Amino acid sequence: MTLYLVRRLAVLVASTAVAGVVVFAFMALLPGDPAEIALGVNATPEAVAELRAQFGTDRPPVTQFLDWFGGLAQGDFGTSYVTSAPIGPQISDRLGVTAVLVLGGMAVALAVAVPLGTYAAVHHRDPLGAALSALSQVGIAVPAFLAGILLVFVFAVRAQVLPSGGYVPLAEDPGEWLRSLLLPWLSLGLVQGAVLTRYVRSAVLDVLREDYLRTARAKGRGRTGALWRHGLRNASVPVVTVLGLQLATLLIGAVVVERVFVIPGLGDLLLNGVAGRDLLLVQGVVMVLVAAVLLINFVVDVAYHLLDPRLR
Amino acid sequence: MLTVDGLTVDGLGVRAGDTELVREVSFSIGPGERVGLIGESGSGKSLTALSLMGLLPEGVTATGRATLAGRDLIGVPESRLKRLRGRDLSMVFQEPMTALNPLMRVGAQVAEVMTLHGRGRREARARAVELLERVRLPEPEQLARAYPHQLSGGQRQRVMLAIALANEPALLICDEPTTALDVTVQKRMLDLIAEVAPALLFITHDLAVVAAVCERVLVMYGGRVVESGPIREVFTRPRHRYTEGLLAASRLTPRGTRLPTISGSVPAAGHFPGGCVFGNRCPHADALCETVPALTGEGHAHACRHPAG
Repeated sequence: MTLYLVRRLAVLVASTAVAGVVVFAFMALLPGDPAEIALGVNATPEAVAELRAQFGTDRPPVTQFLDWFGGLAQGDFGTSYVTSAPIGPQISDRLGVTAVLVLGGMAVALAVAVPLGTYAAVHHRDPLGAALSALSQVGIAVPAFLAGILLVFVFAVRAQVLPSGGYVPLAEDPGEWLRSLLLPWLSLGLVQGAVLTRYVRSAVLDVLREDYLRTARAKGRGRTGALWRHGLRNASVPVVTVLGLQLATLLIGAVVVERVFVIPGLGDLLLNGVAGRDLLLVQGVVMVLVAAVLLINFVVDVAYHLLDPRLR
Repeated sequence: MLTVDGLTVDGLGVRAGDTELVREVSFSIGPGERVGLIGESGSGKSLTALSLMGLLPEGVTATGRATLAGRDLIGVPESRLKRLRGRDLSMVFQEPMTALNPLMRVGAQVAEVMTLHGRGRREARARAVELLERVRLPEPEQLARAYPHQLSGGQRQRVMLAIALANEPALLICDEPTTALDVTVQKRMLDLIAEVAPALLFITHDLAVVAAVCERVLVMYGGRVVESGPIREVFTRPRHRYTEGLLAASRLTPRGTRLPTISGSVPAAGHFPGGCVFGNRCPHADALCETVPALTGEGHAHACRHPAG
C-alpha cells in the first residue's frame, strides 16, 4: 500500500508537470502579446519593447516557463499584466468558494443518488422503481445551467424564499451563506444526482445477483440487512469511478453556475480574465483547475485501493 | 416417517407462476443421518434445498410442509425464517469462488454468522479461528485475517463449511459442494463433510460422491422423487427405470463397446409428461404409465409401474 502510494504520488507530480507544460504552451501559442494588449494599437515599438522587458516576456520561453512553474510550487502565480495585482491571492480567495460549491453539489448528488438508486435496484420490478429509473433519465437530459434557471424561477422569482444570486461569505453571516449557496448546490447536484442514480442502480443490481449476498442470507440476514452489510460497499467500487469523473464535470459545471448565480468563484475569475485579456490570470486559473482534476483522480485511485483488498 | 428431532418433508411443491418445478416430495432425515439427493440438472434438487432454506429466487414459491426439530420451514414469514437460517440449518453452496464477500476478511465472515445469532463479538472472533482449525485449514490465526482472494477454491469451501457449522446446526445442506473443486481436493473435502455434518442433505449429480458420503439416497427426476432407499440397495438393485439407466450410464464399460445412455433428453421445466415423469424416455413405458405412480415400498421405495429386478 505504501509502495503504491509513493508510486501514485510520483505519477501525480509528473502529470501535473506535464499539464503545466501544456497549459503554458497553449497560452504562449495564442496570438496576442501582453505588452501590445496593455499599450493598445498606437504604442511605439520602443514602449512595447520596454514593457516586454518589464513583464519578462522578452526572455526565451523555457526560462519563462521555469520561472512561472517554479513560482507555482511556492504559491506565486505572478502579477497580472492588466491589473498589476498579484494573481495568487485572487485564486486562493476564490478556490475556497468553488470548492464549497463543488463539494456541496457532490453531496447533493450523493444524497439523491444513493437512496434513489438503491431503491430503484431493489424494487426494479415494481412500478415505483421503474418510474424512478425513468425520472433519472429525464434528469440526465437537463444541463446544470438550465436547472439553475428553473430553480431560480421557482424558488427566487415565484416563491421568493431564496435569493436569485449573489454570495455572502460564511464569516459574515452563516445563515445567509447557506441560503445563497442552496440553489447553486441544487442546480449542480440534482443533475449529477440523476446521472449517479443510474450508476448506483446498476451497481446495486449487479451486487444483488452476487452469490455472497445469498451467503449472507443463508447466515440469517434479511434481504435489507444483507444488502447493507455486504452489498453497498461492493457496489461503491464502480460508483467511486463515476464519482471521480463527475467531480471533474462538476468543476466545469461550476464555471457556468457561478455565472448564473453571480458567485465569486474560480469560474467567475476565469471568465473575467478571458474578458479582460488577462493572459497570466487565465493561465493560472486553468492550471489550478487542471491540477484539481489530477488531484481528484489521485484521490479516486487511492480510494479504490482502500475499498478493494484485491488491488492491494 | 415421523421423526421429531430431524427434518421431515411432506408433500413439498415448488412452482414459478403456472409451472410446477417440484412436486410431492416427501422424505425425512434423522439426527446424524446422511442423505444424498441425486438427479440431473433441472431435476429440482437445488430448488428442494433452497425451499428448505427459504432462499428461493423471486417469483418462485414453495407449498407443502417441512419441519426441522418440530419447527415449520415452509409458509413461515421471513422474519421467523431468518432466525433459523445459519443457526438451526445451514447450507454450503456449489461455487466457493463467489460465495464469500471479496471485501471482508475471512475471520469476520465466519464470526458474522455467530454475532447474528446472539454471540458476543469477541467470543465469535475467537471461535471463528477454532472453526477454521476444525475444518483443517492451516494456520487459522493468519488465515482469519486473509481476504477470500488470497485463498484457493478448496480453502474457500472449507471457510463456507466453517460458517455453516458455526452455530452447531441440526441440519447441514450441501449443494454440489465439491463440483467446482479439483479431484484431489474433492476427496478430502468429502471426508471432512461426512465427519463433521450433524444431519446431512447432500445434493449432487455424481453417483460416486454420493456413495462415498451418504447412507441413504433420494433419486429425483422431473421434480419428483422416483426412488429412495439405502445407498447399497439402490445402487446394486435399482427398481426405477430411470435409476437403472443412470447407473448403467455411469458404469465403466469395456473399450470398444457403446456407452449405455438414456434415450432422449431432459424436457424443459413444465414439459414433463403427465403421468410418470420418465414415461417419454422409458423403454418399458405403456398405457399404465399415463397415471402418476406413487412412491411405494418400505425402506427401499420406488415410483415405477414396471420396476426392474
